[in-house]
Amino acid sequence: MLNAKPTIKSTLKALLYLLPMLVISITFSIYPIIKSFIMSFYTKYDFFNDIVSAYGFDNFKFLFSDPDFHIAIKNTLIFVVGVVPLTVILSLVIALLLNRIKWLSGFFRTVYFLPFVTSTVAIAQVWHWIYNSDYGLLNYFLSLFGVSAVSWLESPKYAMLALIIMSVWKNLGFNIILFLVGLNNINERYYQAAEIDGANAWHQFTNVTIPLLSPITFLVSVNGVIGSFKVFDQIFALFNGTPGPSKSALTIVYYLYQKFYTEWKYGIAAASGVVLFFMILLVTVFQLWYSKHHVHY
Amino acid sequence: MLYHIDRPTSYIVVGNRLKGAKPLEVTFKDVTLSYDGKREILHHLNFTIPEGTLVSILGPSGCGKSTTLMMISGLLAPTSGKIFFGDQDVTKKDALARKVGMVFQNYALYPHLSVLENIEFPLKMAKVPKKDRKKKAIELAKLVHIDDQLDKKPGALSGGQQQRVAIARALAKEPSLLLLDEPLSNLDARLRIEMRQEIRRIQQETGVTTIFVTHDQDEALHISDHIMVLNQGQIQQFSSAETLYDNPSNLFVSQFIGEPVINTLDITDFDRELEGHVDAEILQRAKKVGIRPEALQDHDTGSETLTTIATKVKHSEKYGREKNALLDFHGKPLLTTEMRAEVADEQELPLYLQRHGFYLFDENGVRIFGGDQDA
Repeated sequence: MLNAKPTIKSTLKALLYLLPMLVISITFSIYPIIKSFIMSFYTKYDFFNDIVSAYGFDNFKFLFSDPDFHIAIKNTLIFVVGVVPLTVILSLVIALLLNRIKWLSGFFRTVYFLPFVTSTVAIAQVWHWIYNSDYGLLNYFLSLFGVSAVSWLESPKYAMLALIIMSVWKNLGFNIILFLVGLNNINERYYQAAEIDGANAWHQFTNVTIPLLSPITFLVSVNGVIGSFKVFDQIFALFNGTPGPSKSALTIVYYLYQKFYTEWKYGIAAASGVVLFFMILLVTVFQLWYSKHHVHY
Repeated sequence: MLYHIDRPTSYIVVGNRLKGAKPLEVTFKDVTLSYDGKREILHHLNFTIPEGTLVSILGPSGCGKSTTLMMISGLLAPTSGKIFFGDQDVTKKDALARKVGMVFQNYALYPHLSVLENIEFPLKMAKVPKKDRKKKAIELAKLVHIDDQLDKKPGALSGGQQQRVAIARALAKEPSLLLLDEPLSNLDARLRIEMRQEIRRIQQETGVTTIFVTHDQDEALHISDHIMVLNQGQIQQFSSAETLYDNPSNLFVSQFIGEPVINTLDITDFDRELEGHVDAEILQRAKKVGIRPEALQDHDTGSETLTTIATKVKHSEKYGREKNALLDFHGKPLLTTEMRAEVADEQELPLYLQRHGFYLFDENGVRIFGGDQDA
């Protein structure tokens, strides 16, 4: 019955249906989040016996005075700002082009989607070769234009750029698919109406495609921001288990990994996780606020 | 055959005519459209739509009426033939250059823009200054009676309101031609009648040449100066509503126009009832007989009566002011709406076949008897 009033019995029944998913998400998401929040306040921790003898803000104090953490935050922000807009714009442009061609469109879609289903380690190995300063494809290509060899992965100056290029390329596939779905959902009638109303191809793009695609653009950029803040595996694979030359690709999650697995400073690792959590939260809330005014569902 | 109609002399302009572009005459010369080079959708269309009139394109679904409209708008290009606006050849021009106004079946209002912004959009594209844009849009919103909803988004409006916004948007750039593609089909019955009167009013106030596509004969009959009946990509007849009903040029038009539908019989269903009343040579060529339900009277009408036929009442009923009877004539059903006397089922009933509303069609479906010109 659609108009039935909730009773204790019906509520319990509903809970029973929710139980399997609740058990999984509480065990693997909710509990670890709460635990790491608490852990970030451990100041004296005997991890052999799991005894906490003091709580406090020492971990956060350490983070704010640690130059490595400052580098990590700076690098993470550079990475996000470098990757997200480029990914959104490039995948939109490629989706628009793919939407136009009829010939071999299935083939091209597959080609662009492949990076998404390929393991990051394999991708990093390929890019490792592309970026090789002596016999890499990229330097060979640049030499055709008279650019002398760049040591992409060895120079602190270029390491972040190399990482951004690879990440953009890796992210394209999935975002192109999302944009293609969005483009196909725009009714042809709006374009016809716009043409009748005197809009040329560019005005049709800015007045119909862009606004009607805004929900997808929003999804892609929120997804991209969150994913980019959490970047780790690309760095690990591309720089052979180091955070790049002279920590030039040290990001927050890489910092967290180092503190946790190599230095066993659990409290500091947890605290850096908390900082990352609030950074992502802040940006996402801003994006949500922005979307209220500029995203048209 | 070229369908050409003079501008009606009884054309009335009500209220203040909004100053706009001069209304245009639209001419199709031998226009053919085929998809993928094989399937021909429209065959050799020739017609002229007089300036300042409201013309309906009427036909069953799939007859090519929306396609014809798309070709007038410039969204579709004809495979062969020429299209003229006035004396200007626009065949090669796209929708952008033709500057027509169009209301789509689902209105196609931009969902992210407010009512005002929707109406302003064509003006914005024409680079009209912001102030003039707003003034003009409000003026149009008043014309279509939607000026109290200016800040709402289309999603918050009812079907009839969206329809009005779509018309205002189409009129915004003062088109010399307004195209309406089944604009009433998404509305409920009462609103449909209201909106068709509104469209008529707006057309008369603006004087813009208007082409209205519909599959509903009632809509076409009520709204238009002239009706073009289209079937299977060919013009069946292009004339006034009255002519269409009284003088259908062929069997299709006679069956398509009229409610209830005309009674259709084979000539072989008659014994000798028509002999002596219709020219023997015409009777020889006739294949089908069409009898309007009101052309079967149950009493003698003197000189109006062509002949009498013997029928048997199968069923009679009364709805409101209508009194219908379903009759049996040589084993074929006939419907009349003109019962005066009370009749019982299974009763023998002689009927007086009227000259007016009785047609004969030859093997190609062309009318050869009945109507004004007995040819």
